[in-house]
Amino acid sequence: MNTARCPLQSGDEGAILLSYLDRRLDPDSMDALDRHLVACPDCARVVDAQRTVWKALDQWEPLAVSADFDDRVMARIAAEKPSWWRRAVTLPSPWWKPAMPLAAACVALVAVTVWRGPAPRENPLPTMDSAEAQQVEDALTDVDMLRQLGVTL
Amino acid sequence: MGVSVALPMSASISTPAVQILDRDAALMLRVRDGDTAAFAQLLDRHRNPLVGFMYRMVQDQGVAEELAQEVFLRVYRSRSTYEPTAKFATWMFRMATNLALNWLRDHKSEKGCESLDEAIVEGVGRQVPDRAPNTEERMVAESQLHEVRRAVEMLPEKQRAAVLMHKYHELEYSQIARTLDCSESAVKSLLFRAYERLRNRLAHLDGNRQV
Repeated sequence: MNTARCPLQSGDEGAILLSYLDRRLDPDSMDALDRHLVACPDCARVVDAQRTVWKALDQWEPLAVSADFDDRVMARIAAEKPSWWRRAVTLPSPWWKPAMPLAAACVALVAVTVWRGPAPRENPLPTMDSAEAQQVEDALTDVDMLRQLGVTL
Repeated sequence: MGVSVALPMSASISTPAVQILDRDAALMLRVRDGDTAAFAQLLDRHRNPLVGFMYRMVQDQGVAEELAQEVFLRVYRSRSTYEPTAKFATWMFRMATNLALNWLRDHKSEKGCESLDEAIVEGVGRQVPDRAPNTEERMVAESQLHEVRRAVEMLPEKQRAAVLMHKYHELEYSQIARTLDCSESAVKSLLFRAYERLRNRLAHLDGNRQV
C-alpha cells in the first residue's frame, strides 16, 4: 500500500477500504486507516456508504432450499450410472488388463493377414505343354543316335 | 481528498477457515475412493451456500436449484480425476460461476421486471423479524429489498459474481481471482467498481446520504 497517498487517489488501492471494512487487514494497517479516516472526509464518506450497502445487502436472504434437493441430486447421479458392460470395460482388473494391448495387437495382425490373403508367388516358372516336351525329347534322342553313328555335329 | 497518511507498505490479509477447506478436500478424496457417504456430507455442507449463490445470481429459485444440482453432478463426475491443488470451495464456485454466467448469457432476453417482481414477494416472505411488522414497515422493507435486488441485478455479470462471493460467501480475493480466471489486483478493482455502483444506487437507504 502506498504510504503517502489517500487510498482513493490511486486505482485499485481504493479496494484497501474494503479490506479495512472486512477487518482483513493487519493491526498496523487498521490503525493507520483509522487515523486516515478521521482526517479524510472523502474516505470516511466511502466507508460510511459502504457500510450502508452491506447493511442493505444483508436484508437479502436466500430462500429455503427444497426438501427434496438432495434426493434429486442423487437421482441424477443414479441415472448416470454406467451399464454393466461399460462397468466391465472400465473396471480395473489386475489379471487381464495388462494383456489388453497384446490381445489388440494379435487381433490386428490376424485382421491384416485375412484382409491381404495368400501372397502371390513371385516369378512363376514358365509352363510347357506336353507336345513341346515330346518334341524336345525326340530331338535329344536324334542327337544321341547321330553321335553313335559317328556324325560330328 | 488529498490528505496524506502513513500506512504500512504491505497490508496483509488474514486467511480464516483453512481447517474447513481442508476438510472439504479430504471428503472429496474419500468420494474419489468410492465413499458415497462422503459425497452426502459434501452435499450437506455446500447445498445452502451454493443454492444461495445461484439464487442471487439468476434471481430465480427453481433455476438456482437446477444449476446447483448440475454443479454437484459435475463434482461427482470429476471425482476420479480430482486433485486437491485448489481449495474445494474455489473449485466448486468456479464451476458454479461458469454455469451461472452461461445461463445468464443464454437467457438475457428472457429476464425482465416480471421475474424480479415475483421473486421480491418470495424474498420478503423469507424475512423473519423479531416481531410482526406493521403494514408500513413491511412496505418499506419490500421497497428496500426491491432496490437491493435491482441494484445487484444491474451490475455487470462478473462484478455481480465477485460481489456475491465476497459479501455472502467471504471468499478471499485470491479465491475470487481463481474463480473468475483473473488476477488478484483485477478482482480488487472489479470489486471496488462494483461496490461503487452499489453505493451510488443504495446509499440513500441510510438517511438519503449521497456519495
